[in-house]
Amino acid sequence: MSTQTTPTAPSTPSAPSTPPTGDGLRHPWLLVARREVATKLADRTFLIGTLLTLAMILGFVIVQAVLSERTQTYELVATASAAPMADAVAQQAPTLDDDLVVNVVPAADDAAAEAALLDDEADAWLTTRDGSWVLIARDEVPSDLEAVTSTVVRDTVLAENATAAGTSVVDLTTGTTLESDVLVGNADQRAFAQGMAFALAFLFYLASIVFGTTLANSVVEEKQSRIVEIIATKIPVRQLLAGKVAGNTAIAVVQMALYAAIGLVGLRFTEYSSFLPSIGGALGWFLVFFLVGFLLIACLWAVAGALASRTEDVQSTATPVTMLLLAIFFGSMFLDGTAQTVLSYVPPASAVLMPQRILDGTALWWEPVVALAILVVAAGAVVLVAERLYRRSLLQTQGRLSMRQAWSAPE
Amino acid sequence: MAQIETRGLTRTFGEVRAVDGVDLVVRPGGLTGFVGGNGAGKTTTMRMVMGVLRPDAGEVLWGDRPMTAADRQKFGYMPEERGLYPKQKVADQLTYLGQLSGMSASAARVAVAEHLELFTLGDRAGERVEALSLGNQQRVQIIAALMHGPTALILDEPFSGLDPSAVDSMADVLRERAASGVPVLFSSHQLDLVERLCDSLIVLARGQVVAQGTVEALRAGGPTRFRLVTEGDVGWVRDVRGIHVHDVDGGTALLELVDTGAEQAVLRSAVERGPVHEFAPVVPPLSEIYREVTA
Repeated sequence: MSTQTTPTAPSTPSAPSTPPTGDGLRHPWLLVARREVATKLADRTFLIGTLLTLAMILGFVIVQAVLSERTQTYELVATASAAPMADAVAQQAPTLDDDLVVNVVPAADDAAAEAALLDDEADAWLTTRDGSWVLIARDEVPSDLEAVTSTVVRDTVLAENATAAGTSVVDLTTGTTLESDVLVGNADQRAFAQGMAFALAFLFYLASIVFGTTLANSVVEEKQSRIVEIIATKIPVRQLLAGKVAGNTAIAVVQMALYAAIGLVGLRFTEYSSFLPSIGGALGWFLVFFLVGFLLIACLWAVAGALASRTEDVQSTATPVTMLLLAIFFGSMFLDGTAQTVLSYVPPASAVLMPQRILDGTALWWEPVVALAILVVAAGAVVLVAERLYRRSLLQTQGRLSMRQAWSAPE
Repeated sequence: MAQIETRGLTRTFGEVRAVDGVDLVVRPGGLTGFVGGNGAGKTTTMRMVMGVLRPDAGEVLWGDRPMTAADRQKFGYMPEERGLYPKQKVADQLTYLGQLSGMSASAARVAVAEHLELFTLGDRAGERVEALSLGNQQRVQIIAALMHGPTALILDEPFSGLDPSAVDSMADVLRERAASGVPVLFSSHQLDLVERLCDSLIVLARGQVVAQGTVEALRAGGPTRFRLVTEGDVGWVRDVRGIHVHDVDGGTALLELVDTGAEQAVLRSAVERGPVHEFAPVVPPLSEIYREVTA
């Protein structure tokens, strides 16, 4: 051990008779919350993880945008006999598929056309074989080119056959098409909303698990290192709990908002941009419900941490919370009808299910208000119960506690 | 400064009564040693004084009124099992604890810098606590208890884990704090250290206070003993009235006084019988007092 070399009695720092009073006295929970946030922000793993996730979201959006913007150009080779059909394909391609451009490459004969394919000078060769049209490629026929070409060929040949039979395509096909429509909204938009609902439910699940685990671990860290015994003599344990929950909730919500913002900004550059205004309100509800729901769940995580004595115990003391979160996540994916409606009022499932119903457009205006009120009341009740469990188990350092033990433990 | 007092403090864990009606007083301006064997109830008592544990019965007073959480916030406390955030930097952590004690951020930072210098840890401010040696972690813990200018100090085994020179400087710091009028209660197993440092003493055994007071008073309460060394055999002392012969070995005898003044008769007889090499009162070491009161 190193040696202490100042045997002289200290003079300056000793006992100022009245220590200066800071804001720590009035709002100790703020101090705790600030430490939680500062610790998190100084954690390199957390920062790198956040940046990577942002980069992934951004990358995904960029790829989507590029894919939707990019036009594919194909060189279609054809001999003189097939040239009119090839020209028709080239002419109609942009109207049939936004992203498709077809250029016709003339070839003197079949051998030249085949050579063009093999030399990669053309992507496909349009020709006839035994009276049928054939699209030939070197190793793989591009599916979008095949789709456009088959449409053009069918329409053209149909028109020729109709003329030969003394009628017209229009007469032939009158009344043969089936159109589909939906009464409410727009089918594409609906699919988009469902995708969005899934993404947000997943985000909630992920954030709850990631930040919940962090919170539980930081609670047990204080317990394991016994620093909680010092803190408990400085501030009420309730303030410690409040500060930890507030700090972690703040980080979680800011991080989720950041992800969502980047995602939404990115979406503006994709084909889904027109759907955005319609879900703006629902997103706002999501944020409010998440905030309250996360608060409730954070308290459960804090209790899970307090019930453990060592970091290794957290996994088992947190099992009920993890199961609950999984149930909510799967519930949000697979439930519909009455079950969905009922659970959209039951906390903490309502934190995800009600905003999803708003997104679906199946919730009346007052429904989220009622569900939110129930959620807030439930969160308040959980805070009170959690505080008692937390306070009573925090200074019990002998192994794992059950909820029942913690509830009835003496202080 | 006020004094710390407990009245009838009692705490039971399951079937075990760890602390049983403890009445103690920690006066300001001096060091009070808290001694007792393992499981005597020292830590439990200190935790109840600090409000970490709730007593089953009894109360803790600060001066003449019940101690409040606000009082305790200003105290310096060092729990038995040491702990700090292992991954947080030394200075940041101490600043945080200072703020929790009610200091402003800037005052806390100044106090941290001063105390780190004082404990020769000035160059370790930016290191994580887990990177320090155990002895240095102990010093950080001590700083956490001292930096906010505490109005009282409750220290559970503050000297354990310190090397002799660190013990000396720690003792200086505690004496200096006590001299400034702060009540200081510390527990220790090292009786010689307690004897050297303490103005008064509280001895706990099986959850009860078995002795309490200044070291002199405790000694005065015990039997007065004299040691007699003569040239010849001292077997004759057995016949002297008013004393109890504790031990005789050749020319040396250890006598316990029963009647005041009887020692003068012994001395006279001894001088009459031959040369006397030594005749002096025996000051019992603290360990002996401790053994007697806890027996």
